Amino acid sequence: MARFEAGGAVRVKRAFPRGHCRTPYYIRGKQGVIERVCGAFPNPEELAYGFDGEPKRVLYRVRFPQSEVWPDYSGPRQDLIELEIYEHWLEPA
Amino acid sequence: MSGPTSEYEIMSRAMQELLEEKGVITAEQVRRRMEQFDEEFPARGSRVIAHAWADPAFRKRLLEDGKAACAEWGLDLEAERLIAVENTPEVHNVIVCTLCSCYPRALLGMPPTWYKSENYRKRVVREPRAVLKEFGTVLPGHVTVRVHDSNADMRYVVVPMRPACTDGWSEEQLAEILTRDTLVGVTLPQARAP
Amino acid sequence: MSHDHEHTEKRPHDMGGDEAGPVDTVDHGMKFWEKQANALRYTLTSRKLVRLDELRRAAEDLGERYYKLEYFERTTEALRTVLLEKGMFTEVELEAKIAEVRKRHGAL
Repeated sequence: MARFEAGGAVRVKRAFPRGHCRTPYYIRGKQGVIERVCGAFPNPEELAYGFDGEPKRVLYRVRFPQSEVWPDYSGPRQDLIELEIYEHWLEPA
Repeated sequence: MSGPTSEYEIMSRAMQELLEEKGVITAEQVRRRMEQFDEEFPARGSRVIAHAWADPAFRKRLLEDGKAACAEWGLDLEAERLIAVENTPEVHNVIVCTLCSCYPRALLGMPPTWYKSENYRKRVVREPRAVLKEFGTVLPGHVTVRVHDSNADMRYVVVPMRPACTDGWSEEQLAEILTRDTLVGVTLPQARAP
Repeated sequence: MSHDHEHTEKRPHDMGGDEAGPVDTVDHGMKFWEKQANALRYTLTSRKLVRLDELRRAAEDLGERYYKLEYFERTTEALRTVLLEKGMFTEVELEAKIAEVRKRHGAL
């Protein structure tokens, strides 16, 4: 059961795990919109250490305005960046 | 082959031989994989996208579910999940993996050295237009540049805009202008009259 | 770099947005051993003998060495780490095999 749906406003958590994760530093704390629900996948943060990554976690594509991500973004205001973010990294915005 | 054998080449061969001796893998399996990467995978992307250009119904299916559309067409992308993103007069897509070098290998073969380079991984998310310019691609200000960081389980391929002068071209001719760089989004297909 | 959480350690592989020079837009291809190393990697992952996630983690753990090594040097180090973790061979066995391969190549 996915917590968020396409179009929903979300924020990436400002979390700083010490180990492997797939949420780049540059996107933490940023606000975006769910572009789609990708499905559920074993958690890479656990797979990386030999665990089976179950139960699966829901993965989303999230769309961010570049101007939100980089305060000094020099391109046009409508430019976008999209990443895949796991549900446990997201909170409602 | 040039230059002295590096320590890493030696380490890699040693690991492979040990695994073969222990029956974990066979030399033939590795050889077959090398062949696939060299001979099979690199040609696939151009053919799939050329087919999408030629067949609007296939294009629609590809955009909805990249992996299923490829499978229906006879291409097994193995473990990779594929999202095809289309360029339009208003939107230009470009792909990167900032964290390592995730890339749709089963569709495009091995990524080019520039894709894996620090400078590309660092800069294309933050100043995509400047990086595209270094590839000779300049986009007008009214076009949205949409960067995709392949940071988790999905893989991406760009469906470029089909140049107008390619009307009536065969899929083989279309595939020829769909170079690898156009499918990652750093260049645009260049059409000359056949 | 304009991150407002600069005080928290960011690891070398997590490089999106960092300052850098021009991109070398030429594809320099792969040497034979790199193609073979790549094939070895995928032979192992497709059989689920190692996971890509484990290999990524081992490469990320290279720390400062991350930038000192080239791409396939990193992946080879990472594979070594993970195969040793899984007990596919021991360090003693690997060192012995490395010595044998080195002799065969006439390298020092």
